[in-house]
Amino acid sequence: MPGHDERKGGLGGPLLGPPYRLVGRSVIRHDARDKVVAATAYAGDWAMPGMLHGVVVRSPYPSARIRAVDTKRAAAMPGVATVMTASDVPHNTLWTDVPGQTTEVGPLRARLHVLAEDRIRHQGEPIALIAAETEQQAREAAETVAVDYEALAGVFDPAAALEAGAPAVHDQGNLLAHWRVRRGDVAAGFARADVVVEGEYRTQHVDSAYLEPESGVAWIDSDGVITIRLSTQVIEHFRDVAEVLGVRQNRVRVIGTYLGGGFGGKEDVTVEVYLGLLAWRTKRPVRMVWTRQESLLARAKRHPYRMRYRTGALRSGEIVGQEIELLADSGGYAYLSALVLLYSTVTAAGPYRVPAASVDARVAYTNNPPTSAMRGFGAMQVVFGYESQMDRVARALGLSPLEVRRVNALRRGDALPVGQVIETHVALPELIERAWGALGEPTPPRAPHVKVGRGVACNLQPYGRIVWLHDWSSAWVGFEMDGSLVVRCGVPDVGGGQASSLCQIAAEILGVPLEGVSVHIADSALTPLAGTTTASRQLYMSGNAVLKASRELREQLLAAAARMLDADPAALEMADGAVRASDGRSLALVELLRGCARMGVPRSHLGIYHAPAGEPVDLEKGSGKIFPDYTFGCHAAEVAVDTQTGRVTVLKLAAAHDVGRAINPQSVEGQIQGGAVQGMGYALMEEVVLEDGINVTTSFASYLIPSAGDVPDVEPIVVESGEGLGPFGARGIGEPPIAPPAAAIANAIEDATGARVTQLPITPERVARALGLVEGG
Amino acid sequence: MPTFAYLAPATTEEALAVLAEHRDDAKVLAGGQSLVPLLNYRLARPRVVVDINGLPLDGLSVAMGTLRLGALTRHAALEESLELARSCPVLREAAALIGNVRVRTLGTLGGSLTHADPAAELPMVMVALDAQLTVAGRDGRRTIAARDFFTGPLSTVLAADELLIGIEIPMTRDMGGAIEEVSRRAGDFAVVATTALVRVDRRGRIDDARLAVAGVGPTPLRVAAAEEALVGSEPTAERIARAADAARASVTPDSDAFVSAAYRRLLVGVLARRALTRAVTRALEVS
Amino acid sequence: MRLSLHINGRPREVDVEPSQTLLDALRETLGIFDVKEGCGEGVCGACTVLLDGRPVSSCLLLAATTAHRAITTVRGLEDDGELHPLQQAFLRHGAVQCGFCTPGMLLTGVAYVQGHPGADREALRHAIEGNLCRCTGYAKILDALEDYARETKRG
Repeated sequence: MPGHDERKGGLGGPLLGPPYRLVGRSVIRHDARDKVVAATAYAGDWAMPGMLHGVVVRSPYPSARIRAVDTKRAAAMPGVATVMTASDVPHNTLWTDVPGQTTEVGPLRARLHVLAEDRIRHQGEPIALIAAETEQQAREAAETVAVDYEALAGVFDPAAALEAGAPAVHDQGNLLAHWRVRRGDVAAGFARADVVVEGEYRTQHVDSAYLEPESGVAWIDSDGVITIRLSTQVIEHFRDVAEVLGVRQNRVRVIGTYLGGGFGGKEDVTVEVYLGLLAWRTKRPVRMVWTRQESLLARAKRHPYRMRYRTGALRSGEIVGQEIELLADSGGYAYLSALVLLYSTVTAAGPYRVPAASVDARVAYTNNPPTSAMRGFGAMQVVFGYESQMDRVARALGLSPLEVRRVNALRRGDALPVGQVIETHVALPELIERAWGALGEPTPPRAPHVKVGRGVACNLQPYGRIVWLHDWSSAWVGFEMDGSLVVRCGVPDVGGGQASSLCQIAAEILGVPLEGVSVHIADSALTPLAGTTTASRQLYMSGNAVLKASRELREQLLAAAARMLDADPAALEMADGAVRASDGRSLALVELLRGCARMGVPRSHLGIYHAPAGEPVDLEKGSGKIFPDYTFGCHAAEVAVDTQTGRVTVLKLAAAHDVGRAINPQSVEGQIQGGAVQGMGYALMEEVVLEDGINVTTSFASYLIPSAGDVPDVEPIVVESGEGLGPFGARGIGEPPIAPPAAAIANAIEDATGARVTQLPITPERVARALGLVEGG
Repeated sequence: MPTFAYLAPATTEEALAVLAEHRDDAKVLAGGQSLVPLLNYRLARPRVVVDINGLPLDGLSVAMGTLRLGALTRHAALEESLELARSCPVLREAAALIGNVRVRTLGTLGGSLTHADPAAELPMVMVALDAQLTVAGRDGRRTIAARDFFTGPLSTVLAADELLIGIEIPMTRDMGGAIEEVSRRAGDFAVVATTALVRVDRRGRIDDARLAVAGVGPTPLRVAAAEEALVGSEPTAERIARAADAARASVTPDSDAFVSAAYRRLLVGVLARRALTRAVTRALEVS
Repeated sequence: MRLSLHINGRPREVDVEPSQTLLDALRETLGIFDVKEGCGEGVCGACTVLLDGRPVSSCLLLAATTAHRAITTVRGLEDDGELHPLQQAFLRHGAVQCGFCTPGMLLTGVAYVQGHPGADREALRHAIEGNLCRCTGYAKILDALEDYARETKRG
């Protein structure tokens, strides 16, 4: 639990030594062993007798009315078992309900149809489902589904969507949500400022682009339970499937497989509802695996933002006012847009003290592809805005970019513009120093036309969910009679070691070797629910649940051991697969477990961890806690700019984060390195290109994610302040590393060339334009 | 992918007979790196796929001033060939730039040329090298100059019942060559690519200059204006810059969703200058 | 059509459609899930197998064209139940996160290092450019490859 060890406030340096035996060590993850020999059965690696293959038929148009859907030909095609349209779906509505919500905040509860009824609002919107004996037959049948469309006017820009007379994407108007923050007197702040710097920034749609496309298999088990085995970040979607089918929620089971990547793209319902429908309808197992093309076309994207910042500062660098406007594009449906904007609103001014701030964050419907959750979740886009501004302020004042950040960095006890007081240590000054220092000696340019520059960017990212969602997680820990340990927890593992961290924690507390732990995860029928693997919350929440379960189990067992040894329980510890007394006596674990069986003492325990909860905060008027805590970071980049072509090469990237406590240091480094590279992709090459709502980047040849040849080795700098809310003082690290690279790179480019790029991705052409090498179209 | 009949002829004659029979309903399978993605995404639906990998069309040889390459020569073979490193290093440089290691294992020279992607390296280099392409049909063989072979994006003069079987390149051992390209990601197709070949005579003057560009039009182009600006002159930086300017002025690329015409023109100028500069350096080494 | 495939040193007889890719034949017909489908166009590398020792995209190979040729999947790297040194290096260095790219990375790495013992980090980086990874940022994969390459030079 936070701050319970002597390292409270202790910073940096090597990772923990004793008294921890496993926590703080870079142990090899059990799932890594399976993965190097391809033993892991991903969701698509599953075949069942009599299995059908399902495909989705989608609209090629972004805005249309459906006059008629003719599936007769499709139904008659060879091998076709069923064709379904909207009228075949018992309850054709999917609610994007933020799970566990206790108050219905209008825009957070969004709805869409499973299969389109009369209206198409984005390219790729699903219209029909087909299941056939082979995938080939299903795809051939899909091509014969005849849809009579009436093309409708569409709107493809959120600003245009908010103008009077714009085509209405939904009846209630195109403004989906508007969050406001008003704090202090911004006008007065600007009046006393020595400089006021304005900037406009634009970010793009991007895709999660996990290597494993959306996939799953569904079947009806021998008890009649609809069972769906799929790649998902949220097993609680079994409830959504049950609602759509009109069956009781305890008649649907979701088994979450080890994902081949999630990144937020598998947070909403993806294939599970289609699989449920097709299995329910045909009474046969059904598999659905999306092609890459389909995944890039159909899956929700990251919100593109248009941001306007006005930042006022004194000569000392102290920020005296921030006026921020954000406009995001929700696409055809709301999904999680309102929540994403809320994250942006709370973090829009960055990890800095801002006495006066006004934030207006709006998100509008358009006929572009829908946007929803993606790693960073709204707290990412604004980093490009606020960190570009910090450098511009520095330049306007003739101060170093590092100094401006140090002057304004939040400290414990400061409040964010929304009024939340930061209660844990903010390691920003150390993070800035270490990231910058890690760049080492400047790299000399390799040719006269190459300029080298450096830049930094800091960020804060919430971890754990909004406090008024009353988040909780649970885990069960128990011994088998031979001393082997079982952990059961509903947590989905997206590849970040979610499952293996739980093993490490349980083994640590119960004094058993890591190899003696077996973990079962992500089964909505058989594992205690642990909530979503999103929001950088799982180590915090499920880690604490396992910690709690393990501690309480230990207490139970030591009480029994005390009886067996006639000793004081306080003088006993569990270590090396035994119970040891301070006077040197010991009791083998197997003996203890037999004794428990005799005495009727349970050898297992269910732990439930409740995050600190709060009541909803009116962002504009009130103040209070929004998120449980934040993870702070600073990245420093060195770039080389080819001033003749505009091509940017990142030579070095150092990424420093205060992770509270690194349960598995190698895993933490891997998260930082992987997140930073994803951030470099966002910065330099990733872009979903839309032409009037039509996606022209639906292949890995056109939607570019970084290869090993495009990025340097990221140097991860792991700082442990010991002050996180997670187990042993850990903070969430899943999302924080993705956000700073874009701004660090833009700042480094300006350092190198004097030119500032304000639009992402920073392509060679955009740099060439910023350098004045290209004019016109 | 959509179903088709698969045929694997053992001789060129057999292959040609099949193509003559099925014409546009047939697709030729060599390395598969361009064809099979189209099949996977259901963008091509041939009735027949003709696997020519069994035909005796590989092989690299140098004789009598000519480099001869079979159409089935794999990119990896070009990349690894010591003979090619000696006799035509610019072709080896091009092969190493293609795609990724897997594409190079299976992809073929003939496949790349008949696929005719406007941004691809090999068509551009063949045009720079004044290669002669040998095409076989039912009526016999014909030879086509590389610069006449490409007719548009993804299209060539090859008829539906013809096969590209070999490529002949007049030796350029005494020339210095270089390729420069910019791509959006390591190993990807180039946005713009240039190939330069230069020979410097004993008086220190350029007596043969070739500049080809890819990615700025429907086919790879030879930039005569740039070549003329160089032949007969000393290879100074100023001359090279003028040739590069001529190249930039002579191209009329289109804009697309990713890159504008103006930026492509910029790149032509910069990459032409860099390729010519490196080519001259190499030319002076071999002269 | 009946085909004789040679997979990880063992002959396998299989019935395939002419239009089946090797990827599809391995997964759907033979139940060999070592190879993954990530993109269908040879860009991502998740479907990599070694064909006569060289890396190829199994999603771009018609199964029919691979008869009698030596196909190696990641399970062919183990030696009598013992992990290949590169597999061990991947574990030591934390080079595996979601694992979807891992089989392709391992095969590509083994093939390259066997042809270039002692290869340095930059050569290794270039060698795996065609294998996309979304999770690790490549650094620990390169750590593992460098370690293995050094071992092959010594050994």
